[in-house]
Amino acid sequence: MSVAGFIVIAFMLTTYVLLDGYDLGVAVIAPLVARTDRERSVAMASIGPFWNGNEVWLIAAGAALFALFPAAYAASFSGFYLPFVIVLWLLMFRGIALELREHLSSELWHQFWDVAFCASSVLLIFIFGLALGNLLRGVPVNPAGYFQGTFAFLLNPYAALVGCFAVATLAMHGAAFASMRIEGELGARALELLGQIWWAVLVFYVAVTALTIAMRTPLTAWWLIALPALSLLALLGARYNAQKLRPTATFAMSCVFVAVLLAASAATIFPYLLPGFPARSSGISIFQPPPSAVALSCALVVTLVGIVAVSIYSPIVWRRMAGKIRVE
Amino acid sequence: MDPVLADRLQFAFTIMFHYLFPIGTMGMAPFVAAYTWKAARDFDEESARIARFLTKIFAINFAAGVVTGIPMEFQFGTNWAAFSRRSGAVVGQPLAMESMFAFFLESVFLGALLYRRRRLPSIFSAWAAVFVCVGSWLSGFFIVATNAWMQHPVGFSIAPDGTIRLENIWALLFSPFLRWQFAHVLTGALVAGGFVVAGVGAYYLLSRREESIGRRLVRAGTIVALVFSLIAIFPTGDDNGRDVTAYQPIKLAAMEGLFETTHGAPLAIIGMPDAAGDHLIDPVFVPDLLSFLAYGNFRANVQGLNAYARELWPPVELTYYAYHVMVGLGTIFVAVAVLAVLLLRFGLLWNSRWMLWILMLMMPFPYIANEAGWTTTEVGRQPWIIYGLMRTAHGPSPTVAAGETVFTLIGFAGMYFLLGVLFLYLVLREIGIGPQEI
Ligand code: HDD
Ligand code: HEM
Ligand code: HEM
Repeated sequence: MSVAGFIVIAFMLTTYVLLDGYDLGVAVIAPLVARTDRERSVAMASIGPFWNGNEVWLIAAGAALFALFPAAYAASFSGFYLPFVIVLWLLMFRGIALELREHLSSELWHQFWDVAFCASSVLLIFIFGLALGNLLRGVPVNPAGYFQGTFAFLLNPYAALVGCFAVATLAMHGAAFASMRIEGELGARALELLGQIWWAVLVFYVAVTALTIAMRTPLTAWWLIALPALSLLALLGARYNAQKLRPTATFAMSCVFVAVLLAASAATIFPYLLPGFPARSSGISIFQPPPSAVALSCALVVTLVGIVAVSIYSPIVWRRMAGKIRVE
Repeated sequence: MDPVLADRLQFAFTIMFHYLFPIGTMGMAPFVAAYTWKAARDFDEESARIARFLTKIFAINFAAGVVTGIPMEFQFGTNWAAFSRRSGAVVGQPLAMESMFAFFLESVFLGALLYRRRRLPSIFSAWAAVFVCVGSWLSGFFIVATNAWMQHPVGFSIAPDGTIRLENIWALLFSPFLRWQFAHVLTGALVAGGFVVAGVGAYYLLSRREESIGRRLVRAGTIVALVFSLIAIFPTGDDNGRDVTAYQPIKLAAMEGLFETTHGAPLAIIGMPDAAGDHLIDPVFVPDLLSFLAYGNFRANVQGLNAYARELWPPVELTYYAYHVMVGLGTIFVAVAVLAVLLLRFGLLWNSRWMLWILMLMMPFPYIANEAGWTTTEVGRQPWIIYGLMRTAHGPSPTVAAGETVFTLIGFAGMYFLLGVLFLYLVLREIGIGPQEI
């Protein structure tokens, strides 16, 4: 059951990155593709009805972690205290920017929130990447089951590289979404930009994959070859479809790429929620401390029922809002 | 600074700020749903204008609630790691339910409600509004379930290493403490919703614009305010008080400023507790009434603070004052709402400008009553973070220093100041613009 819990959390976080990833990505590319005030409004409107629902996946994953693995929840959030609170501030700032921009029609007001929106999104993605990098690398957990992350420790070159990789990847993801959702020249420009970002993604991808394999995992299991190969295929597929001007297929490929990468990361960490540093075995695993069966099964039922329900009604609602939007 | 104090200040500040917005969400959602329905079903232009106007304000309020709610969800981990580690298997359950069953519902359907292409709302929009309302009430329910468990823990066992294990989730969801607490919280929000809607309507009538809409808002708002101010006292407030008497007698003693255990305990209407000197300064009593309210018997024995060791006392002054502010305001709400509905009934309200002034100025007070109620509940629970099981002093994160918390507290204060100013500016601006033509 602990394993099921691990899979559920990994699934929820992956869904979060896929969904909120595109609206974060749109924020990154907006200043690059949207030239006029009106176009920037459209870029924001393309994610307007979705971002809050997307962000709930993060909140829900946090709550599920709390219910399933309280020790890991407590140790990670208190250990990453300052970076985490900064994430909270950025999330808040970004939400405020998104929601309040359209309430006034002053151009200065818009410019301020455009910059705030883009900057907070870039930083957020970078910090999420940094966190993932540190998870892959391991963090020093003390015998009482807590750890204290200093900035100096967390900002190591490997994790920073993962952070940059994350920014590039989600920028690509966002560009794919924008080209799918927005009609006309703006959408076309997003697709064009995707072709350029793609190279950066490729370079980071190769570097991060090589370093991760060198650092953590000798190439013994089949999936260590299969998963990176699959993600590379998806990445190539994204480029191919972008050149054929097929935004929906490009977005789908980008989703596969991101999902496979995250699955590979989860598989690398397993069975640890917080792998130790320098020795993995000193971390907090899903079996330690022994979780209570009633709590595990209750939280599993809640999350699974919830996931099924959300996957039924969200698409129904989204369909009502489907279709392209355009710059008028 | 003492690290526990820093964490408590930060939690109290952020939750009290967050709670301002759920009050509006839970209290206004039924109005939004009702007007949207009416507009969609009867093709009624005026209802559509009201619906769109209220939805705009609702959306600003909702956004502020969301951004201030996100830090709450994670603060248990950042600041209260020892508490989370020990009790997460229980406390985490209702929080997970809240995310899975309520937040998704609210946020997905709010997106649908705001995304509107047609002039008049469709039946789909009306359903979306209903689901947003259900979602916000559900999230209130699950979060209060968490809190009710911390007030009166049920359905658990304690493992050898001290962690608290979940034994029975139904015991938690059907806890006797939860029933009335949730009913009372929801009632408090609806009182606020009623007075806010009535107050906005009164503003239009006073400034002689949008008079037809103004009348409709005042009528709906005052009736809702009257019904729920009554329910706030009886049965919900009354039963909430009985639960406190039964499960947390020391909190009751602090709320009422009762220092000595007494047969036929009097109810203090006013008076200032002197916790050091063990008595109420300058009190006005109603004899025997407290015994009756707590136990339904005028001669019943009510335990006073002196029956307990001092280290188990909650901060008496704050608990006492917060409680009296809530109850005092609750009484005033009933008086105002009764008067307004009587004037309405006899057709005198539209010409009674003084009453419209009162209604307009009432708007902030339900918020104060709600915050005071929570202060009573939470401060009165001290020194326990989980009543009878875990001390607040043992809850904070061992790895987070006081200096860090002070830093983040200052950051939250700055952020919330900015947010508060923006929120007020935008809401007041929407009210100033008023319901637009469609
Ligand atoms: C408009 C809001 C409002 C109004 C008019 C009242 N209350 Fe209240 N009260 C709340 C809003 C509220 C609240 C904010 O919703 C609280 C905080 C926690 C809770 O359960 O509800 C609360 C708590 C609360 C508690 C504490 C429960 C605990 O410690 O766990 C009691 C005993 C009462 N109330 C009783 C009353 C009585 C006798 C009232 C009669 C006038 C009253 N309330 C009016
Ligand atoms: C279900 C939701 C809630 C939970 C789980 C909860 C939990 C907690 C926790 C963990 C603390 C810290 C311990 C302490 O300082 O005493 C606390 C304190 C506090 N909470 Fe709550 N709370 C909830 C709702 C609220 C709400 C809605 C308010 C007010 C609007 C509130 C007001 C306070 C205050 C004022 C304190 C500080 C008490 C003191 O320092 O003496 N709480 N609560
Ligand atoms: C410690 C306690 C609390 C936590 C952890 C918490 C958490 C959250 C979070 C994460 C959100 C954003 C949801 C979204 O993104 O859609 C939110 C919003 C909300 N919360 Fe809280 N909250 C707390 C206290 C309360 C209390 C006491 C109530 C009511 C009784 C409440 C009612 C709501 C409602 C109705 C919303 C949605 C509407 C809005 O945003 O205004 N919350 N909360």
